Amino acid sequence: MSKVLEFELIGHVTIGQYLPTGSILHRLDPRAKLLMGLLLIGAVVVSHSLVGLTALLLAVLVGLVLACVPVPFALAGLRPMLPFLMLLALLQVFTIPQHAATATVLWRWSILTMTDRGLLAGILLIGRFSVMVLGLSLFSFSTTTTEFTHGLEHLLRPWQRFGLPAHELALIVNIAIHFLPILAEETERLMKAQASRGADFGRGQRNFIKRARKLLPLLVPLFLVSLQRAEHLIEAMEARCYVGGKGRTHLIHLQMQLSDYVALATALGLAAFAIQLSITHADQVLWHWIFMNR
Amino acid sequence: MIACTIPLIDVRGLAYTYLRGTPLETQALRSVDLHVYAGETVGIIGPTGSGKSTLLQHLNGLLKPQQGQVYVNGISLSDPHVDIRSIRQRIGLLFQNPEDQLFERYAGDDVAFGPRNLNLPADQVRERVRQVMEMVGLPFAYKDRLTAELSHGERRRLALAGVLALEPQVLVLDEPTAGLDPQGRRELLHILSQWRVKEGRAIVLASHNMEDIVELSTRVYVLVAGQIVLHGSLRDVFSHHDILTQNGLSVPIAMETMLMLRQRGYPVSINVLTAEEATREIKALLYV
Repeated sequence: MSKVLEFELIGHVTIGQYLPTGSILHRLDPRAKLLMGLLLIGAVVVSHSLVGLTALLLAVLVGLVLACVPVPFALAGLRPMLPFLMLLALLQVFTIPQHAATATVLWRWSILTMTDRGLLAGILLIGRFSVMVLGLSLFSFSTTTTEFTHGLEHLLRPWQRFGLPAHELALIVNIAIHFLPILAEETERLMKAQASRGADFGRGQRNFIKRARKLLPLLVPLFLVSLQRAEHLIEAMEARCYVGGKGRTHLIHLQMQLSDYVALATALGLAAFAIQLSITHADQVLWHWIFMNR
Repeated sequence: MIACTIPLIDVRGLAYTYLRGTPLETQALRSVDLHVYAGETVGIIGPTGSGKSTLLQHLNGLLKPQQGQVYVNGISLSDPHVDIRSIRQRIGLLFQNPEDQLFERYAGDDVAFGPRNLNLPADQVRERVRQVMEMVGLPFAYKDRLTAELSHGERRRLALAGVLALEPQVLVLDEPTAGLDPQGRRELLHILSQWRVKEGRAIVLASHNMEDIVELSTRVYVLVAGQIVLHGSLRDVFSHHDILTQNGLSVPIAMETMLMLRQRGYPVSINVLTAEEATREIKALLYV
């Protein structure tokens, strides 16, 4: 399998792709979606409640269904990260609060000790990452980059009076996002071209410096091509009299609808619920009950 | 004349789908058959997005067949034990805009990249670089020039030299003359027809430019939406000019002129591919 995909760089990363299904979520105001995304990330980071995280996970899954995205396709985006997540979770389980006075030891083997607190921390870590990755994928599945940067610019606009260049920042983000797949494609093409001349990119080479040197046939042309593209972009923008954000009007005016407010309120409610649960330790009781009554 | 020998490249029932198993999957090739024999130049024409590049990337094993088979000298590329680097040495592939792939500071080093990857001794590398640079019309002294200082046409030819330095049996080219000026284009076509002369070699040429196809090809395949809709000798294929134009392809300008004359009622032959033939037809019209 890995040999077949030798040169495919972007094909199998699902996060960051847009799926034009035209669902309700696609039609939401990008500002609402951005704020919902921020709320989700905030809640996921702050909350350490299992029930809360499960609720957020369910919400994201419901969102995927609403967006008409096949759930297995979204889950496939998690697969490449699983090994890292597992490793991190293991580290978490065996290193984090083992010595807390309230922790119950579940399992012990020489220097390794697993407590209920450690296990909880490990599960939370995997849960948090999964919710975040799925949430961000959901955002990108349902929002075009143009909508995203538009929304971003609108949200940043109030800060303009404090000197924040909202339009320019949004433009930078927009260009960066647009160039990512182009550069990935370019890299793929260059890898193939150099492989056609017998290059191998340091596979199985242990010496780090030798390995880095083998990447030169890839990196040098990639830099040159990127600079050329940037120059072309500048020329194209200047040819159309681009001067920056000042005095610039927009073709599309964003207008929050009732549905946007409803969606935002739902997200706010969910986030508050998840955070509230972790403050009141509601599910810690549940957790203890599971392990105490074995 | 060359029948009953083993083809250098034999493609059978090749199908390929990008992003297979995702909502974004697109079928690039569906059941393609193609053969390349020693001594011929095979032209592949097709509109943008017809799967030409995907097909070419299968010929030297950059892509593995999902369905069907690709044989090079009778060796299946699907065989997991196949030495893919030796296949890539035998089938030299030059991508579109190949001057983008140059990376060495000095021109000669870039040509030497391939031979060095073959682990040849230094004197042989030097000899090969000299040979191929002269073959593409760059004096050997150019090896010490900065790659960045060469002209566009020179860089294109340098990239070609870099592939020729592998001494491939088959040269596979994707739009080799795209973006060149008329002079650069003529030089490149001349180099390619010179290179082919040596026995046992073959060229596969994918192009939009019908003039290039007419000038180099002996046999032509027409690829539309991942399928071969037409193949045969150069004249056979262009005699079906209606199929070509229906699929958004053009015919050589000489033939187009003849078609227009025909439309206006002049008794000219349609079987005309080059400017010389067109001149003959028009002269015949004028001096009858």
